[in-house]
Amino acid sequence: MVKFSISKGRYTYTHDQKYPCENVDIHHIILKSCRANYVFVYTLAVLLLASALYLCILGGKSISIVYYSMLFDIFLVKLLLPKPVKKESVVIMPAFGVQLETHYMSGKIIRCFVPIDKILKPVLVECVTPVTCYWTLSLMIRGESEMVLVFKNLRPPVKMLVHVWKALCAATDIKEEALNTCTTYN
Amino acid sequence: MGDHEKHRIMMVSDFFYPNVGGVENHVYYLSQCLLKLGHKVVVVTHAYGNRSGVRYMTGGLKVYYIPWRPFFNQSTFPTLIGMLPIIRTILIRERITLVHGHQTFSTLSHHALLNSRIMGYKVVFTDHSLNGFGDVGSIHMNKVLQFTLADVSQAICVSHTSKENTVLRSGLSAEKVFVIPNAVDTEMFKPAFEPPSRSSEIVIVVISRLVYRKGADLLVEVIPELCRLCPNVRFVIGGDGPKRVLLEEMREHNSLQDRVEMLGAVPHAQVRSVLISGHIFLNSSLTEAFCIAILEAASCGLLTVSTRVGGVPEVLPDDMIVLAEPNPADMVRAIQKAITMLPKIDPQVMHNRMKELYNWHDVARRTEIVYARALKCPHQDLLEHLSRHLSCGAWAGKLFCFVMIMSFLLWHLLELWQPADDIEEVPDLIFQTSMMERRGLKKEKKMTDDGEFGTSFF
Repeated sequence: MVKFSISKGRYTYTHDQKYPCENVDIHHIILKSCRANYVFVYTLAVLLLASALYLCILGGKSISIVYYSMLFDIFLVKLLLPKPVKKESVVIMPAFGVQLETHYMSGKIIRCFVPIDKILKPVLVECVTPVTCYWTLSLMIRGESEMVLVFKNLRPPVKMLVHVWKALCAATDIKEEALNTCTTYN
Repeated sequence: MGDHEKHRIMMVSDFFYPNVGGVENHVYYLSQCLLKLGHKVVVVTHAYGNRSGVRYMTGGLKVYYIPWRPFFNQSTFPTLIGMLPIIRTILIRERITLVHGHQTFSTLSHHALLNSRIMGYKVVFTDHSLNGFGDVGSIHMNKVLQFTLADVSQAICVSHTSKENTVLRSGLSAEKVFVIPNAVDTEMFKPAFEPPSRSSEIVIVVISRLVYRKGADLLVEVIPELCRLCPNVRFVIGGDGPKRVLLEEMREHNSLQDRVEMLGAVPHAQVRSVLISGHIFLNSSLTEAFCIAILEAASCGLLTVSTRVGGVPEVLPDDMIVLAEPNPADMVRAIQKAITMLPKIDPQVMHNRMKELYNWHDVARRTEIVYARALKCPHQDLLEHLSRHLSCGAWAGKLFCFVMIMSFLLWHLLELWQPADDIEEVPDLIFQTSMMERRGLKKEKKMTDDGEFGTSFF
């Protein structure tokens, strides 16, 4: 039963209740696949191979140019078309733990379980790379120096991350008022 | 006179905390005072070691440490258009209205100003140093400065000498350049509760980087001569650098171990404790656009002796400073004159005068006026930008135009690939004010335009 859903661009957030137990909370981030990417990359690869074949057959170049272009095509496809992710889910089981799931287009699902007592705090973090800046939702784990990314492959908008963050905070029993160190008085 | 409109300013410089220095302090204090005036300030700098990503400093000052490694003298590698994607992202997500770059030697600053101009933002540049005209490095740097300042909205210099130097180097119109001197945190630099006694010995303090530009070679000649002429004078030298070896050799050669104390590098937090142990502050720089060090010394109640170079004569009134030509004989004469002036000096009176003369809040208010003037500048399209750059030189002009065209094309490619609507705006975090301000005031939670979530993130 879908309780709440929002969409922005290629991302859709749904909050549903699949299990009869009302305590179990499930949040999905679904990515719409972009066919244009596939068309562009495969067209590029075909053009490259066709050019290599033309040079080999009609231009008199060695056959090795065709092999190199095939290798380059494989490299290009691997680089520009990473393993397609269909959706990522967060299953929150209060007093038990949080399960992070990644669903691929091929049907494969990778799951990762984090016990509730290992979670110190869920945090929204701004990540800065040399070319961009984006929000992520991470779990601070007791005794670990590295945080665990909740959504490992997708970069949904922060409006969607906030709902998942609030649910995680509620599950890990952190009051929002206690976290609110950012109020001012007028 | 002031503009009550609140601005959203992006300060850009390669030089920021955790590095400590004049430019770093200027950016930090100016940002804090602008925050207190109600503006939104974001600082963009490069990553320092593991310090990478977003950090918050006092008062909610947001700092982006972009993971571009410095390649020379703490400046990032010049890529001309490589920084455009990250600068564009930060400008859109923080809803910046104005970009303020600092320091000629900061390549990050030049990148940000260049890319921001092409995207239609108003830019302000502050020059903190004096530079030469004759050597190879200066010629190239001046050409880069000419490129950056060709269509900057307004510029700020820290002294009139610096303004003259910047205008000559860059070819910028003098009407566009404002002079706003640096200031000093007089709360941090206070005289000692009990000033050191002047009856037994006179202590002369030197705190600077021991490099050629700061006149370390002059010290090597001045110190032995003064120690010979004045038996009751002792030196305390703080700082480190390649010329430290020369000073130590001088100390050994003249057997001045008991009269010249070398402290090594002094952390900024301990500078005051070193200053208040002395009576006179000696600055032997060969070039200075402004010299904040003598402000700090005067704020601690020390009489200053300095070389008459650059913008130094503009900094302190005549009864607080004795100026000398940058040669050993004149410096010795000036120090002897300062020693005779000492009985008339009251450190607390000097400190109180400094509090009135120099004030970071005043610098912020004057900078606000520059921002208001910059925002009133007319919007320019690409052709107007190109025509300004074309006049920079026969070959350089064409090169600059090519770079601007490439930036423009990359910007439009980014607009197609990642439209501005896809970049989410960051809500403003508002930090708690002091307990005194909170008492008796009602609580208000600030909401963003999108009322779905409030300010509490962490």
